[in-house]
Amino acid sequence: MIVIASCSNDDSIDKDEEKPTISVNYNEGFPQGCTQLTRGETYNFRAKVTDNKVLASYSIDIHHNFDHHTHDDQTTECDLEDVKQAINPFIFIENYSIENELTSYEINIPVTIPNDIDTGDYHCAYSVTDETGWQARTSIDVKIIE
Amino acid sequence: MVLFGDNCSNLNSFSIMSYKILSVWLCFSLCSIAFAQNSFQIKGFVRNANTLQPIEGANIVGEGLFSISSVAGAFTIKNVDEGTYSFTISHISYAPKTVTVIVESEIEIVQVYLNESSTVLEEVEVHGKSKYRKVKETPIVSHTVSKEFLDKNRENSLMQTLSKIPGVSTINIGSGQSKPVIRGLGFNRVAVIQNGIKHEAQQWGNDHGLEIDQYGIENIQIIKGPASLVYGSDAIAGVVDIQPNKIPLQNSFNGEVNILGESNNNLLGISTSIEARKEKWFYRGRLTYRDYGDYKVPTDKINYENYIFELQDNNLRNTAGKEANASFSVGYVSDYIKSETFFSTVNAKNGFFANAHGLEVRTSSIDYDRSNKDIDLPFHKVNHFKIMNNTSVIMGKHTFYFDLGYQKNHRKEHSEPVPHGYMPKPPNSKEREFNKNTYSLNMRDAFKPNKHHDVVAGINVEYQDNNIGGWGFLIPEYNRFTIGVFAYDQFEIHPNLHFLAGIRYDYGLVDTKSYYDWFLSTTNNNDGSKSYIYLQRAQNKTLDFGNISASAGLSYIQKNTTYKLNIGKSFRMPLANELASDGVNYHMYRFEKGNLDLDPEESYQLDIDIDHTTKQFSVGISPFVNFFENYIYLNPTSNYYETLQIYEYTQAKIFRFGGEVRASTTLFKNLQLDASAEYVYSKQTSGAKKNFTLPFSPPLSGLFSANYQFKDFLFLAKPKLIADFRITAAQNEIVPPEEKTEGYQILNMSFLTKMAIFKNNQPIEIRVKLNNVFNTKYYNHTSFYRLIDVPEAGRNLSISLTIPLINN
Repeated sequence: MIVIASCSNDDSIDKDEEKPTISVNYNEGFPQGCTQLTRGETYNFRAKVTDNKVLASYSIDIHHNFDHHTHDDQTTECDLEDVKQAINPFIFIENYSIENELTSYEINIPVTIPNDIDTGDYHCAYSVTDETGWQARTSIDVKIIE
Repeated sequence: MVLFGDNCSNLNSFSIMSYKILSVWLCFSLCSIAFAQNSFQIKGFVRNANTLQPIEGANIVGEGLFSISSVAGAFTIKNVDEGTYSFTISHISYAPKTVTVIVESEIEIVQVYLNESSTVLEEVEVHGKSKYRKVKETPIVSHTVSKEFLDKNRENSLMQTLSKIPGVSTINIGSGQSKPVIRGLGFNRVAVIQNGIKHEAQQWGNDHGLEIDQYGIENIQIIKGPASLVYGSDAIAGVVDIQPNKIPLQNSFNGEVNILGESNNNLLGISTSIEARKEKWFYRGRLTYRDYGDYKVPTDKINYENYIFELQDNNLRNTAGKEANASFSVGYVSDYIKSETFFSTVNAKNGFFANAHGLEVRTSSIDYDRSNKDIDLPFHKVNHFKIMNNTSVIMGKHTFYFDLGYQKNHRKEHSEPVPHGYMPKPPNSKEREFNKNTYSLNMRDAFKPNKHHDVVAGINVEYQDNNIGGWGFLIPEYNRFTIGVFAYDQFEIHPNLHFLAGIRYDYGLVDTKSYYDWFLSTTNNNDGSKSYIYLQRAQNKTLDFGNISASAGLSYIQKNTTYKLNIGKSFRMPLANELASDGVNYHMYRFEKGNLDLDPEESYQLDIDIDHTTKQFSVGISPFVNFFENYIYLNPTSNYYETLQIYEYTQAKIFRFGGEVRASTTLFKNLQLDASAEYVYSKQTSGAKKNFTLPFSPPLSGLFSANYQFKDFLFLAKPKLIADFRITAAQNEIVPPEEKTEGYQILNMSFLTKMAIFKNNQPIEIRVKLNNVFNTKYYNHTSFYRLIDVPEAGRNLSISLTIPLINN
């Protein structure tokens, strides 16, 4: 056990054991829970991400929740429409990298909601990684209206 | 009863050992049967000196004489000449006795009373090589698990039962499924062998459990280190070798029923078996059925990331399951040939936690709480069918062993169809289907050229054909062919000093099949335009691998102390998923990417085992040092593929060390105390996660057991109370995406006894077990559900009855 103790000491050499953080819980954070998005409009999707070392990349995923398959992790509970079949749902799947070895960064991505997509309940998921490979996620229930 | 000629006497030394069957077998095999002319008979009875009950299966061995006592304790030695005979009567549970008989009249009746003893082992050493002695002599560090241990410690799944052994832990998937982990390594790095054939399923999978009926297993050998030499690829971290059961006694017919009930998950299990043997032919069969509901955890809500899942009545919703297994075997045993053909089918259906499967959080319109017995989506269904034949043939100094196997693993994962990324809502719930056929042939020749050498040479051939189905893609279809040849020699330098050395070469061929998505994905072209295409997930590729394994070791026995030292090099062929994965693992919320350039994993390990056992106490220590040249590691990168984090198979150097310590002693005759501890330290010394540990690293853990044997009380025979106290330290060594896990202390209690209700019959065995006595909320770092912060099962009361049906 003496060997064990001495060996496990030298190994705390600057190992990154912290996940990054991600939040829309500030004034400009977008979207907030239950936000209604209008077709044809452009919105700036904004979230703050931080890490103890180096931020690496992030992603935004907007997909429909017509079947109520999931829910968000925000404190608000939104009223969901009835379950329905998707015909031409909006799908936004994009990845981005964060350059310059930052420890804090604001995601700010303009997204235009197309005119021809299904309205209804949607889900917006952000995720962020740091250079080590730790990940943080958050997801928000939104609605797309006419 | 059979009489043996004089040339049998030099083998008597084998027979005294605990293994009565083996001894019968050896004598059958190695001795020519002779018939003498003068027919005097020696008849006798063997009884327990205390209870005067007959003792079955005692060995009666003398110069040229051999017999085994029947159920009634009777034995007969026919065709003896007039004269004075001296023979030894021995039995595993009794102290041996030597008696002298003067044969004058036609029939001599001898009464023998044996005293119960737990230390016949010394006697065994005097006479020759018991199994116990052989284990001491071989430099391979192994741990033998007996039926007694399994019966005493039986948990919900085989590997949970075995996790009491220091150095062995499990990855649990709910309450009914688990897979082996040896010294921190699991999945395809531990080979599970049943009757000589490697169990082949989807071992690489996170939510896969071992498909083997844990009832009816009598003998398991666990090797806690690289054992490719004999077992081939995959045995790189260890082996769980489930050995064939003992052959039933001649003219015997036995059966038993085991009934198990558990309070935590409302489990009802029943397993029944029969076995019979005439002279040379024998058969055995077993049926097992288990049905259980959702298991209870000592919490009313689960906090996972920012989600909160409320639990109804502490039930972990949709973790119910059922299992129905059947097996049958028929065998033949004669002087020189032993052969058994074994058929088995294991069927299981298990639900997965409804709120989050893997890392994926789900809501559903299914009313999971309407019943805690039903199995809704997501669930999996698995069938594992096996046909195996084990044959051995003795030819002079050679014994040839043939193991032939066919197994079919058919596994289906069902989940609610949900659109994901560019994938529209799938048409049905069949997410994944795996259909794997494995054909195996092992041949080996055990050759004893003289007293000092035991040479074994062999060949293993295996062919796998893996087919996939369902709308989710994770691993491609593939065919795989492997062949390995090996030889080793155990050399007796001195009766107490043995040297073992061996070498092996393997060649393998993997042929992966291409796979295209069934839906269109959007891709961005260089000119800014978009294309809609069926993405290719796997390619047609043929890859081949070759590798050398080797092992050398020494064993030295000095009175009560055994020293072992073993150094070995093992390997593992990359799996199809490691080579050619290219898909979304929705459950784990990640994109898994294979690497066609992976080399076979190579591992070097130094094992030491020191054991000191006397009548009063036993202590042992088994440290190891291990080095992986190129451990295949699924590395979480910082990049995304369609918003899912990319996990990529890479190779890294790994340094590991650790080991187990154990001690036991008997106080005041009735109190036995055992203590053991296990520890593994792992570190990646190169690659993307340099300085990090490996996933699922078990924390430092100790187990203290007290075992008190009461006096017989009314109709209860041998009542025994056992307390197991486990102390596990925190696991602070983690690697993304793991969480640190706090330490815990758990108390389990059990009470075992035998109830002799019917006279002249074997008693009913009763076991009452209370797991997690204080309903402690704790997390197991190596549990599948740990990832989503689900604690381990709460208090569980289980009652098990084993009732002998027939006994002739």
